[in-house]
Amino acid sequence: MARALAAALLPWVVLVGLWEIAAARGWMTTSLFPPPSSFIKFAIDSDFRVGFGKEGMTIPAAILASAFRVVAGLFLGFIAAVATGILVSMSRIASASLLPIVRGLAPIAPIAWIPVGIIVFGIGNPTAIFVVFTGVFFLLTLSTVAAVQSVDARLIKTARTFGASRPQVWAWVIFPAVLPQVFTMLRINFFAAWMAVLAAEMVGLKNGVGMIVILGREMFNPNLIMLGICIIGITGYAVDALLLFIQRKILWWKPAE
Amino acid sequence: MSSLTIDHVRKTWHAPGGLQVLAIEEVSVEVSSGEFVAILGPSGCGKSTLLELCAGLEPVSGGEIRIDGEKVAGPNPKAVMVFQEHSLFPWLNVEQNVAFGLKTKGVRADERSRRGREVLERVKLVKFARHYPHQLSGGMKQRVAIARALVGSPEFMLMDEPFASLDFQTRVLMQQFLLEIWLGFKSTILFVTHQIDEAVLLADRVVVMSASPGRVLEEIRIDLRRPRSMTDPAFNEYRVRLTSHMEREVMRAAEVE
Repeated sequence: MARALAAALLPWVVLVGLWEIAAARGWMTTSLFPPPSSFIKFAIDSDFRVGFGKEGMTIPAAILASAFRVVAGLFLGFIAAVATGILVSMSRIASASLLPIVRGLAPIAPIAWIPVGIIVFGIGNPTAIFVVFTGVFFLLTLSTVAAVQSVDARLIKTARTFGASRPQVWAWVIFPAVLPQVFTMLRINFFAAWMAVLAAEMVGLKNGVGMIVILGREMFNPNLIMLGICIIGITGYAVDALLLFIQRKILWWKPAE
Repeated sequence: MSSLTIDHVRKTWHAPGGLQVLAIEEVSVEVSSGEFVAILGPSGCGKSTLLELCAGLEPVSGGEIRIDGEKVAGPNPKAVMVFQEHSLFPWLNVEQNVAFGLKTKGVRADERSRRGREVLERVKLVKFARHYPHQLSGGMKQRVAIARALVGSPEFMLMDEPFASLDFQTRVLMQQFLLEIWLGFKSTILFVTHQIDEAVLLADRVVVMSASPGRVLEEIRIDLRRPRSMTDPAFNEYRVRLTSHMEREVMRAAEVE
């Protein structure tokens, strides 16, 4: 455990160390590419506040805002997709008529939904959540339909032999059986969703970690840009770790075990 | 006095492309209460299908199956099926798996837990009540599957090669376990297998089925006292008699293909 942690941390230490050395020796232009010691000091000096007036916000608030947007969008997208996927799978006519539409909408990247979100919801949280939701909903619906079809027939037969009615089979067997598979798909698509939230923040929304980078560019402050990039990486990593935790501790079962 | 009557049953499958496959040509078997009947046949002789028909999981194409004189028209709490491995619900722990058949009948949670524990006590699995299937060995999983079948006190246990995927040692122990269960719970067992030794070791009567389409070739009463030994000369006589049948059928099945 300690060894694994050390193995995971060491490359980071080396990377940051090299970066600092390169900056100190003048191998790179620190005014454009400041090292962590510089932008972390900048963050502390500015009291973890960035921007002025209406655009001002604290860094923790920005992190929370972005994380909330992506988690809320993923959560709603997951629930809606599992429900839709199961309902569609229940009826042959519904799947025959609705799945082509879903298949047509699924390849649209989350980022492409940003303009639609801004037009429909204006600037604000609903837009970001809409972008994440739409970005994962169609894909996860398809994934649910595929998972329903691959549920082990023995489990369904077992439930029926114990007198489970049709709705009981759906609720007690098919529904739990598909959750891990769909959740894995959600985790795979998390990065695209995360990028979409950042992009939405960069083009319109007035807060969040994506905004930090844009403020850095507008104010020509490389410290702010690098700080923003690092925060984006760390926050994304943390949310992914949360998803991984859910995958391993809550939706851990594999099909047919 | 309960009875299971398979009366001139036929089953055809509709294969893709409009083809009809005759799985069971005409089978009649009578099982009365307390009996242990083995159905022996080569792979693909329709013996598993026959069990699914008895369990009401599939409709018959001709003839009828009656349980206590009543025609089987769907899953019936009087006859539950036990499948090969991997039929436990991986997201439920042992106790919840065992109580599944009570849940479908709307039995309250505390009552389910009580009766589940009772059965687990009798099959000596109470220690593992909170374990999940993936934490159990193959033999233990099958004991749980059998306990799950017993919880609703069915009159008939329909077992579809329940020990086929177990290693030799575990299989011997499980066969012993099943005999104890059969005597202890006074259940009636219809047991499908392709292993001659298993059939002779366990059953009062062996029904030999032919390769596709399935027909009954012979019914042999096993007049050996229990506990039976596979090294007993009388055991060997049955083995020889059944082996000649099986060899012929396997060869015939190979020709059909």
